[in-house]
Amino acid sequence: MGASSGKGAPGRTTLSEINVTPMVDVMLVLLIIFMVTAPLIQQGVKVNLPDAKAAPVEAKEKKVVLSVDVKKRIYIGEVEVALPELEEKLKTNAKVQADKELYLHADRDVPYGVVVEVMAAAQRAGVPNVGMITDPFGGPKTSKDKKTP
Amino acid sequence: MKTLLALVVAVPAVCFAQAPIIEISGATFRPMPLAVARPLTQDEGAKKRAAEFDEAFFFDMSACGLFQTLDRKSYLGDAKEGITSASTNFGNWGNIGAEALVKTQLASEGDVLIAELRLFNVASGKEDLKTSGRISGKDTRRLAHQLANAVYKYFTKETGPFETKIAWARKTPNGKDVYVSDWDGHNPVAISTGNINLLPALNPDGVQVAFTSYKRGKPDIYVSRAGGSPTVLVAAGRMATGLAYSPDGKRIAYSLAEGESAQIFVANADGSGPKQLTSTPYFINSSPSWSPDGKRLAFVSNRGGSPQVYVMSAEGGEAKRLTFQGNYNQTPEWSPRGDLIAFTARDERNAFDLFTVNVESGKVTRLTQDNANNEEPSFSPNGRLILFTSTRAGAPSLYVMTFDGNNQVALPMEKGSYTTPDWGP
Repeated sequence: MGASSGKGAPGRTTLSEINVTPMVDVMLVLLIIFMVTAPLIQQGVKVNLPDAKAAPVEAKEKKVVLSVDVKKRIYIGEVEVALPELEEKLKTNAKVQADKELYLHADRDVPYGVVVEVMAAAQRAGVPNVGMITDPFGGPKTSKDKKTP
Repeated sequence: MKTLLALVVAVPAVCFAQAPIIEISGATFRPMPLAVARPLTQDEGAKKRAAEFDEAFFFDMSACGLFQTLDRKSYLGDAKEGITSASTNFGNWGNIGAEALVKTQLASEGDVLIAELRLFNVASGKEDLKTSGRISGKDTRRLAHQLANAVYKYFTKETGPFETKIAWARKTPNGKDVYVSDWDGHNPVAISTGNINLLPALNPDGVQVAFTSYKRGKPDIYVSRAGGSPTVLVAAGRMATGLAYSPDGKRIAYSLAEGESAQIFVANADGSGPKQLTSTPYFINSSPSWSPDGKRLAFVSNRGGSPQVYVMSAEGGEAKRLTFQGNYNQTPEWSPRGDLIAFTARDERNAFDLFTVNVESGKVTRLTQDNANNEEPSFSPNGRLILFTSTRAGAPSLYVMTFDGNNQVALPMEKGSYTTPDWGP
C-alpha cells in the first residue's frame, strides 16, 4: 500500500497499480447503507395481525372504533362517514391524534381492498397503530355485527 | 380528566357544587378538551345572528386558556342533535376526545335575542350547567360573552374576562389613534384621533381613559371621561407620559421630565397634589405600574447603567432592583394577583420577548421565544391572561396568552398596526 519497498530514494517510487483499498471501503459502506434502507423503501400498509391465541386485550379506556359493515359503509363509533371524508375526520379528531391508535372492526365478508383503503386513510391521518378487532370465540357468522369492545 | 377527577374526589367536602375547579397553574395543567356545538336556531331572526354569536363565543372559549377547543371538522353526527341531554349522543362526543360539551340555542323575539346554554360532562352525560341570557338591540357579541363568562365561572369560580374592555393605539398614516374595544378587539370606539396618541390606560372605574398625546407638540397626558372629548390631565415639564391608574382608581402614577431626565410622580386621579417619588438627576425613571394593594410601584430605571425593573413604595423612598438578567428590561406590569411582574426584555439575540419575574423570589420565567418581537404585556383583571403585541405576523398586532405563556392567540382584529395595549376592567 502506501509503504514503499525501501528501494531507491524515498518519495521517488512510482505507483504502478491502482490502490483498491479505499474503493473496497467505500463499496462496503454503500452495501451496508443499501441493506439497511432497502426494507424501508418497500411500500405497503403496516398491519397489526391478530394473534388468535393471545389473551384478549383489556381496554382500560374507551378507544375509537372504526367499523366497516358488509355493505362497505364506514362508521366512526356509530356515525357513518364517507371514505373521502375519513382522513380529515381522523386528522382533526383530538382523541385519535392523542392516542395514535384506532380499532378496526370490519365484517368478515368485507373485501380485503376496502379494509386496506380504510387502514391507508388512517395511516395518512397520522394513526400508526390500527388494532384489528377479532372475535375470540369464532362467533356466529352474522354480517351485521357492530358492537364495540 | 384525571386531575379533574382527583379534584372532584378531594374537594367535595369543601365545595358542594361537585364542579371540578380548574386551577390554571403548575406544570401538570392541561387544557380541558371542550366541544362547542354550533348554535341551534329556532327562527329566521336568530339564524341571521347565529354566526356572529358563534364566532364571539368560540373565540372566548379558545383564547381563555382553560380549554382545548376541538376542531369542528372532527364532530360526528352533531347536526342531528338537539340541546337536551336526551337528544345528545355522548358516545360520539367522547369519540372525538371531548370531556365537556357546550350547546347553545338561539331564539329571537323582534329585537331581542335569547340564548340558552347547556354544559355537559361527556363521560357521565350529566348536565353540569344550564343558563340563559337575553339582550335587546344589536349587541349579539355581548350576549355571547355573558354566556362564555358563565362557563368560565363554572370551571374556575372566578369572573371571566370576556366582558372586559381593552384600550390600544392604532397606527394611522399621520400618527396614532387611541381606541377602547371589547376584550377580543371588536367594537372599537375612538377616544382620541389625529396627531400621535398612545399609551392608553383604563381607570378601574370603567369611565376614564387616560393617554399620552402630542397634540401640543410635546407629550402630555390627557383624560377622556365616559367618551367625552379629552382634556389635559398632566401637562407640566418637558414631557409627561406613561400614566397608570392605581387599582382603586383614585390615584395616578406617571413619569414626568422637567429637566434632563424623567422622574416618577404620583398624584390624585384628577391630577392634583403631584408628589415626586424618584430623584435621580442623571437617570431616567419611567413606566410605573401599581401593585394590586396600591402600596408599591414597579418601574423602569437606568440608574444601574441599563434599563431594569425596580420596585419601590408608592410613598417614595428606596427602590429595590428586581431584574438582574439581561441588559434591557422595560414595560413592567404588575399582575392583579400580586405575585408576578411581567416585562419586556431584549435577549442576547436582540429580540424582544416577554418574561415574568416573581416579586418575592426574583425568579424569572420566559413566556415567549422565537416568534419575532413580543412586547408591552398587560394583565387581564383576574390575572390569568396577558395581552401583548407581537410582530410574528408582520406589523405589530394584539395577542393574548395565559400568564405562563401558553395558548398564544391573535385577537381577531382587522389588519393594522396596533401598539401599547392596556387591559381594563
